[in-house]
Amino acid sequence: MRTPSSAPVKFLNLWQIRFPIGAIASIAHRVSGVLLLIALPLLASVLARSLQSPAEFDALRAAATSASGTLILALATWALAHHVLAGIRHLLMDVGIGSGLAQARRSARAALIAAPIIALYILVRGLW
Amino acid sequence: MQLRIYRFNPDTDAQPRMQDYDITPEAGDKKLLDVLIRLKSVDDSLSFRRSCREGICGSDAMNINGRNGLACLQSLDELKQPVVLRPLPGFPVIRDLIVDMTLFFAHYHSIKPYLINPESPPERERLQTPEQRERLNGLYECILCACCSAFCPSFWWNPDKFIGPAGLLQAYRFIADSRDTATAERLDYLDDVYRLYRCRTIMNCTEVCPKGLSPSHAIEQIRLALLKQSS
Repeated sequence: MRTPSSAPVKFLNLWQIRFPIGAIASIAHRVSGVLLLIALPLLASVLARSLQSPAEFDALRAAATSASGTLILALATWALAHHVLAGIRHLLMDVGIGSGLAQARRSARAALIAAPIIALYILVRGLW
Repeated sequence: MQLRIYRFNPDTDAQPRMQDYDITPEAGDKKLLDVLIRLKSVDDSLSFRRSCREGICGSDAMNINGRNGLACLQSLDELKQPVVLRPLPGFPVIRDLIVDMTLFFAHYHSIKPYLINPESPPERERLQTPEQRERLNGLYECILCACCSAFCPSFWWNPDKFIGPAGLLQAYRFIADSRDTATAERLDYLDDVYRLYRCRTIMNCTEVCPKGLSPSHAIEQIRLALLKQSS
């Protein structure tokens, strides 16, 4: 039995809610934004360090092509690609372009599919 | 037919639980509500709201297999089993599938859902051109079932400050009405980071509206009207 002072019971288990594609694109937009916030200062400092000496450059390149380095770069590249695509999608929708349900579903799916492809392309071209 | 239904009785339960039911629908049972009414005759402790049973009153809104909808409009043959029924997400649960809609209606009242026009009314009626009347289509049909607001993450996280898609669609219904003279005041009220701009255009509202309306379009129109007013 519950006392009147206890917090009200609510159903809000996000794993038990079937989210439409627009919501998935939106949560990915947020996740990618947080990843970028973490990754950009780190990557900027890596760039600065890589310019200090050829030895430093080689060491950082080895780190970047290691398994964990590749994973971090892959995540950061995906985050950049998704955030840009989803951001452009929202800017267009804000001025009424593609804001109907059918087009919004298509553009959400397009951003979700295109971002990993773009990330993979950048990674393959950049690392190997 | 197998169902898993969210059960919570505040008088006896500390926590909600899921209860399994197995029931054979009868010949005339076409919609989910028909089965729920049949279940109620077997287990009268099961609680849910319903009234018109044809998508007009909006009282049997619930979360059906993870998406909000009206039990009376949900065809049985489209449902994957077990059919999982939970109360509208984010709303305080009163009992089983019945939620407390106080805050939802407080937002509805806050947008002044009535015609404001201080001019004395004409002898017969305030006339509109067919085009002016056309602008109300897709707005006046809202039945306030709360499927949209209860599927909106912005409303889940800020139910006290964000008006929510249902309230905003109703707000635009009066902004768009040629007979209403309070457009500027209505827009001023809505021009707020929480009340209107908490919408992140993910369009969950339009995805689940059982009447096929588009609250996200109404919100877009309010934002554009505010933009025009400020320029």
